[in-house]
Amino acid sequence: MFLSRTIRAAVSHSAKQVRSLHQSAVRAGAGGVFVHRDTPDNNAETPFEFTPENMKRIEAIIGNYPEGHKQAATLPVLDVAQRQHGWLPISAMNKVAEVLEIPPMRVYEVATFYTMFNRQPMGKYHIQICTTTPCMLCDSDSILAAIQSKLGIKVGQTTPDKLFTLSEVECLGACVNAPMVQINDNYYEDLTTADIEQILDELKAGRMPPPGPRNGRFSCEPAGGLTSLTGPPPGPGFGVRTDL
Amino acid sequence: MAEYVNLVRRAVGQLTGHGGVRGLLLQFFRANDIKTGALVGVDKYGNKYFEDNRYFFGRHRWVIYTTEMNGKRTLWDVDGSMVPAEWHRWLHCMTDDPPTTHPPVPKKFLAEVHQINVSGSAEQYYPYSTTRKKIHEWVPSKAGDQ
Amino acid sequence: MLRLPAVSRAIAGVAHSKTCLAPSNNFRTSVRASSNMVEVFVDGKPVMVEPGTTVLQACEKVGVQIPRFCFHERLSVAGNCRMCLVEIERAPKPVAACAMPVMKGWNILTNSEKTRKAREGVMEFLLANHPLDCPICDQGGECDLQDQSMMFGADRSRFTEGKRAVEDKNIGPLIKTIMTRCIQCTRCVRFASEIAGVEDLGTTGRGNSMQIGTYVEKMFMSELSGNVIDVCPVGALTSKPYAFTARPWETRKTESIDVMDAVGSNIVVSTRGGEVMRVMPRLNEEVNEEWISDKTRFSYDGLKRQRLTQPMVKDASGQLVTTSWEDVLTRVAGVLQSVQGNEVAAIAGGMVDAEALVALKDLLNRLDSDNLCTEEVFPMAGAGTDMRSNYLLNSRIAGIEECDVLLLIGTNPRYEAPLFNARIRKSWLHNELQVALVGHEVDLSYSYNHLGDSTQVLKDIAAGTHPFCEVLAQAKRPVVVVGSTTLQRADGAAILNAVSTIAQNARASSGVEEGWKVLNVLHRVASQVAALDLGYKPGVEAIRNAPPKVLFLLGADGGCITRQDLPKDSFIIYQGHHGDVGAPMADIILPGAAYTEKNGTYVNTEGRAQQTRVAVTAPGMAREDWRIIRAVSELAGVTLPYDSVAEVRDRLAEVAPNLVRYDDVEQANYFKQANELAQTVDQTLLAEPLIPPQVSVKDFYMTDPISRASQTMAKCVKAVTEGADAIEEPAIC
Repeated sequence: MFLSRTIRAAVSHSAKQVRSLHQSAVRAGAGGVFVHRDTPDNNAETPFEFTPENMKRIEAIIGNYPEGHKQAATLPVLDVAQRQHGWLPISAMNKVAEVLEIPPMRVYEVATFYTMFNRQPMGKYHIQICTTTPCMLCDSDSILAAIQSKLGIKVGQTTPDKLFTLSEVECLGACVNAPMVQINDNYYEDLTTADIEQILDELKAGRMPPPGPRNGRFSCEPAGGLTSLTGPPPGPGFGVRTDL
Repeated sequence: MAEYVNLVRRAVGQLTGHGGVRGLLLQFFRANDIKTGALVGVDKYGNKYFEDNRYFFGRHRWVIYTTEMNGKRTLWDVDGSMVPAEWHRWLHCMTDDPPTTHPPVPKKFLAEVHQINVSGSAEQYYPYSTTRKKIHEWVPSKAGDQ
Repeated sequence: MLRLPAVSRAIAGVAHSKTCLAPSNNFRTSVRASSNMVEVFVDGKPVMVEPGTTVLQACEKVGVQIPRFCFHERLSVAGNCRMCLVEIERAPKPVAACAMPVMKGWNILTNSEKTRKAREGVMEFLLANHPLDCPICDQGGECDLQDQSMMFGADRSRFTEGKRAVEDKNIGPLIKTIMTRCIQCTRCVRFASEIAGVEDLGTTGRGNSMQIGTYVEKMFMSELSGNVIDVCPVGALTSKPYAFTARPWETRKTESIDVMDAVGSNIVVSTRGGEVMRVMPRLNEEVNEEWISDKTRFSYDGLKRQRLTQPMVKDASGQLVTTSWEDVLTRVAGVLQSVQGNEVAAIAGGMVDAEALVALKDLLNRLDSDNLCTEEVFPMAGAGTDMRSNYLLNSRIAGIEECDVLLLIGTNPRYEAPLFNARIRKSWLHNELQVALVGHEVDLSYSYNHLGDSTQVLKDIAAGTHPFCEVLAQAKRPVVVVGSTTLQRADGAAILNAVSTIAQNARASSGVEEGWKVLNVLHRVASQVAALDLGYKPGVEAIRNAPPKVLFLLGADGGCITRQDLPKDSFIIYQGHHGDVGAPMADIILPGAAYTEKNGTYVNTEGRAQQTRVAVTAPGMAREDWRIIRAVSELAGVTLPYDSVAEVRDRLAEVAPNLVRYDDVEQANYFKQANELAQTVDQTLLAEPLIPPQVSVKDFYMTDPISRASQTMAKCVKAVTEGADAIEEPAIC
C-alpha cells in the first residue's frame, strides 16, 4: 500500500519531467513526413505538365537570374507548379528539376524545407487559421470550432468533396485584425463565427467573398473608429499666426 | 579329503567341459577363464548365460558371447553391449529371475533387434560444428556434367 | 596592435622564406612574397599563413587540432555542426573555425574557458538527439562523436526530454543506415554531390525534423558509395556486410594494396582470427587520396568463398579429387620434364604478383620455353611493348589535376578505374578541366564533350580535320587517355598509332615542356604492367595458333582460352586462388594465395610498384605462388635460385629494377620514336564503334575471380538491376 503510493508518486513525477517540446510540421498539416511514399495519387507517374502560359512565366523567372544559375529559380518555379496543380506531387517536383536542369534531390530539399509547399493532396480552398496569441486572445478558438463543425473536418484534414483543407498556422502578421483566416491567397479578418460560416457558404456556392475585414472598418484602422485625423484636413495657413 | 576330491573333480570338469582341447583353448583365450557353470539360458543371438553360485558374488553370473551377432563377427571382437536388455538385468544381478522363466513384459521401446555399441566404428556419432565456416572451398563439378 | 616581437618575427620570417626560395630570386621578391602572408597567433604562438586560410587550418599548422564534425579536408565547408567554435581574442562571440578566414594579428584561443564552454554546449545539443546505443553501434570505438564527447563534452547529462527518432532508409545492399544517430553534418551529402557526382543524397525537412536521405525510395547508386561510411563521423552510415561482425579494437590492421583494378588503391585490411573482416582505404595522395571503390571495399567476402584450399588432380574418370602436395608437385614436375622447349606455355591472369610472374618466367625459360603471355591483349605491331611509354598511364593519376584538356578514347574510367575517374571529376570541378570522349556514350559523373563512337573520329582528330582539334591545339597541358580494352580489338595497333599521333600533335601544338606526358593507357587489371615489364607477351593469340602440350595457367580466369582451343591430349595446370573459370578445365590444380595472403609486388597502371602484405594466412593447403613454382622447379630438375621473398625480389631487380623501387614511379619516354615505329603498321581501322566492356553500373561489380565469388557484389548487381528492395536482408540489419 505504502509502496504503491511511492511508486505512483515517482511515476507521476517522472511523467511530469518528460516534456514533448517539439511539434513537428506533421501536425500543422504542412504536407506530412519528410520522406516520399508512393500513393495512388502521388507517385512519379502522376501526370504533371506545365501549361504553355506557365512555361512562359517560368522562362521569364529564369531570365531574372544570370546564366548558369537556373537553380536560383527553384522557389518561384515550385510556386508556379503548386499554383497550377494545387499541391506538389513528386512528379511536379521532378518536372521542376527537369526544367531547371538540376538534380531532383535539390528540388526535394527546397520543397520539404518550406511549409508553404504542400506535398500532400489539398482541397480547392486551403483554409489556414491563425491561432497564435493575439488571434487566440480574440477568440480564434471559436472560429476554429465553427469551421470544424461546419465542414466536419479536423485540423489537417480535407473535406470528402475535396473543396476545403483546414490547417492551423502560426502568426500570419494580421494581428491587428484578429481573429483571421487565410483562404488560398486571401485574408479574411475581424471574423465572427457568423462571418466565417457565411464565407464558407459563399465558397461552397462557387462565389469568392471579398477579402478583408468583416466588421466594416477599412484595412487596419482602429477597431473603435478613428481617434485622430477624424476631421477634414485643414487648409493652408492652419495654426499660423493671424497677424502674418 | 572329500573336498580335495571335489576340487579335483571340478578342475577336471573345467578342463574337459568345453569340448576338448580346442574348445578349452578357445574358451580360455576368448573369456580369459575356463570356469563352468549351469547354463541358465541362451538369447536369440546365441549368447550363453551361465551361473555358478559357488563363486563369489559378482563372479557368479557370466556370459559367453556368440561368435556372430547382427552381421558382425564377434569371435574375438566381443563387446559388453552385446548383451540384450532383458538379459542385462539378470546378468547384473538387478533381478534373480532370468528371462527364460520370467519373459519380459513387452514394451514398445524395447528394441526388436538389440544393437551393439557403434563407438569406434564407421557408424559412430560425430558431433558437427555449429559455427560458420570461415573459408568455403571450391567444389569441382562432377565429371561429365559439362 | 603593435607588437615589437612581431616585427622581429616578421624579419625572421623573411630570412626564412629567403632561404626557401630559389637562389635566383632577389631579396625584393622574397620580401613581397612574405609580406603577403598574414601573421596570426594560436594560443599566443605566432604562425605565418596565407591570406584566406581558415582559423582551423591555421591552428592545424601549429599542430593544434580543433574538434570538428562537418568539416572535411576534401569537401566544401559547410559550417553547420558548430563543434569547431573557438574564441578569438577581443571578438564578441566564438567563431566557427572551419569557415572563418583569419585576419592579421588575431589571437586564436583554442583552450580558453569560453572555447571550452562553447564546445561543451554544442556537444550537449548534438547529444540531445543522439541515441545512447554505443554498445550496439558499429561505429563504436572509431566514432568521432564518442571520442569528442569524451574529450570536450560535459561529464553529466541534464537531459530529460524525449529524443527524436528518424526512420531508416534503404539505400542499397552496401550501406546500412541508422538515421536516428545522424547529427546532420551533411558530409555524406557533400561527398555524394562533390566527389561521387551522384546527387542522390540531401537534407529534407527543417529544424528538428530535418533528416538526411534520398526523399524517394532509391538506391545510392555510385561506385564510390562505400566512402560515405568512412566520411560519416557517427554510426548513421555503416557497412552492411560488416554489421555486427567485429569491433575496431579487436581487428589487426595490415597495410596493403588493392588488386581489383589497375589503379592500385592503398588499403588497410582489417583481420580478426585469420579472417578478413573489412577493407578500408589508406591515404595516398598520389593514387587514391583517401577513397576506394565499392569493389575494393566490399568484395572481401569473395576471399572466403570458392577458394582452392587443397591440391587437386583429375582422376581416371575425369573428376577433380583432392590430393597431397607431394603428389601434385611430382606430377607437375613429371609433366614438365616429359615435354621440351615450346611445348609448354603459360598464361598469367590479372591478379598475379610480380614475384610469381618472374618465378614462372624463370621456370619456363629454364625449360627452354618462351611461351609466356598475359590474358590482356596489347598490340605488338610497331613499338608494341618494347617502349614502356606505350603501355603506361604516363601522366600519372595525380597529373590529371594539372591538365586542362583531357581526351578519353574508348574507355569508361568510371567503372574501369573509379579512383582515376574521381580525379578527373575533381579536376573538372575545381580546375575547369575540359573532357572529351571518343567511344560509347557513358555516364561519367561529369559533363564531357562526346565526339562520337566511330573510329573515323579518331582518324579525323589524328589528321587534324576534326573540330575538336582546335580545342586540343589551344590546350596548355593536354592529356590523351586510351582504354586498354580498345587496344584489344583486331585493329588495336592502328588505334594505338592514331592515338599516339593525336598525342604527338597535341604535345607539339601545346608547346608544353619535355617532362609533360600526353599519351596514356588505362589498364583494367592489376598485374598487366608488371607482366609487360617482365617481358610477358600480351594476348593468347600465339598459344591459340600453336597449341602447346602443357599449358600452365597462373591465375588465368579471363576465359581467354578454353579446352576447345587445345588438342585433346594437352595437359592444363591451373595455379590460383579461386575455382572460377580456369580451375574447372585444369588437370591439376595448385592452390595459391590471394592478394591478402601474400607479400606481393603489384605495379599499377601508371607504373608505380607497390607491395601487398600478409594479412591472413592462405586457407588450407594453399601457398604463396612463387613458392609453389619454386617447389615445382626443384622437382623438375631446374631449381630456381631463390628461397626467400628477398631473393625473389633481387631477381626482380635484375630483370626490371623499377619493380622493387616501391612507391616510386619509373618514368618512361620515347613517345616520338614509338609513334614513328607505329607508322609502319597496318593503318586500317575497323568500322565497329568503340564500346568499353563496362558500360553501365551493373558491369562494374563482378569483373574478377574474387568479386565474382563475392555475395555482396552479387547483391549489388541484383540491386541495381531490380531495385534495392529486391535484396532480402535479415530483419536485424
